[in-house]
Amino acid sequence: MTGTARGIEVEGTVIECLRNATFTVELQNGHKVLAHISGKIRKNYIKILPYDRVLVELSPYDLTRGRIRFRYRT
Amino acid sequence: MNSVHFTSRVGDHSVVVAQIAEGQWHALEDDQVVGRGDASRRPDGRIFLSIDSWHGAVFDRLAEVMLADLPKPLYTVVDAADLDLTSSWQRAGFPIRRREWEYLVPTDPQITGLDSVLPPEGVRILPVCAAQQAPLGEMYSAIRDQVQAAVGWDSMPAEVLARPDGTPIFDSLKYAVAAESDRYVGLVRVVPRRRQTRIGLIAVRADLCRRGIARALLAHVLGSLHRLGIDTARAEVDESNGAATALFEGVSARRASSNLELVRR
Repeated sequence: MTGTARGIEVEGTVIECLRNATFTVELQNGHKVLAHISGKIRKNYIKILPYDRVLVELSPYDLTRGRIRFRYRT
Repeated sequence: MNSVHFTSRVGDHSVVVAQIAEGQWHALEDDQVVGRGDASRRPDGRIFLSIDSWHGAVFDRLAEVMLADLPKPLYTVVDAADLDLTSSWQRAGFPIRRREWEYLVPTDPQITGLDSVLPPEGVRILPVCAAQQAPLGEMYSAIRDQVQAAVGWDSMPAEVLARPDGTPIFDSLKYAVAAESDRYVGLVRVVPRRRQTRIGLIAVRADLCRRGIARALLAHVLGSLHRLGIDTARAEVDESNGAATALFEGVSARRASSNLELVRR
């Protein structure tokens, strides 16, 4: 986990795509967060699917929520 | 001062919005980034925006600052299921311009009903990698002009890019084509993506539409994918494109999600 001026970023794995454009992501520490995708991912039509490894930025206001900022190639 | 104040369940917040580079804005709270705005220009010249924030007040302030700096029209894309984000953009003056559906397309001929579909007489299908560059490029340019003269590429999910001199940019190895005598008359682009193959574009010369060429191309491509063990492909279709909708729904493709394009003029 890294805490920088960019926010708290954590790697995780998508375990579920929910109906309202959100995803359940299991973080490396085992915690699960509810995450949206970032605007850049959306603009570039990058699809997020279960089992994708992703970089999640956690909300500084609510650590159970996050935003998927990057999808790693596997 | 481009600042905004709001209260969350963890307290009161004061956030400042600043442009950090061309096309990039940050919302900062105590030097920590709590929101981002991005404006990027697509090859067709249109500017697309995105805003990420954790609070509606920060979204609104980012949008306000960005809109003051950028020339109109401005575009954005949202997942139609994301009602909060959609309403945030609408609040910023972006009405919905169009919708595109994402279809999951089965490849099994027993499901698609395409097992006995053949191209019309005189037309043959050349598989992916078999098309010749020169005639494919010629048809590609024809398709570009044809679409631009009709609905326009800005209403197509699959944009065909061109270099500044107008030469199309394409990878001929991704196309299966329909050929009639000495020219190509239709094409389908198959994009092998990690874990989900995408049908990026399917098009037929305007004077040869409604002869079953697109259906034959689709039958060929889906059959090939099925033989490779791929059971589903993905395709996006603009809601107003009745022919493409009928083509995909006619092979039992199902709608999985939809994207909205919003524009502020």
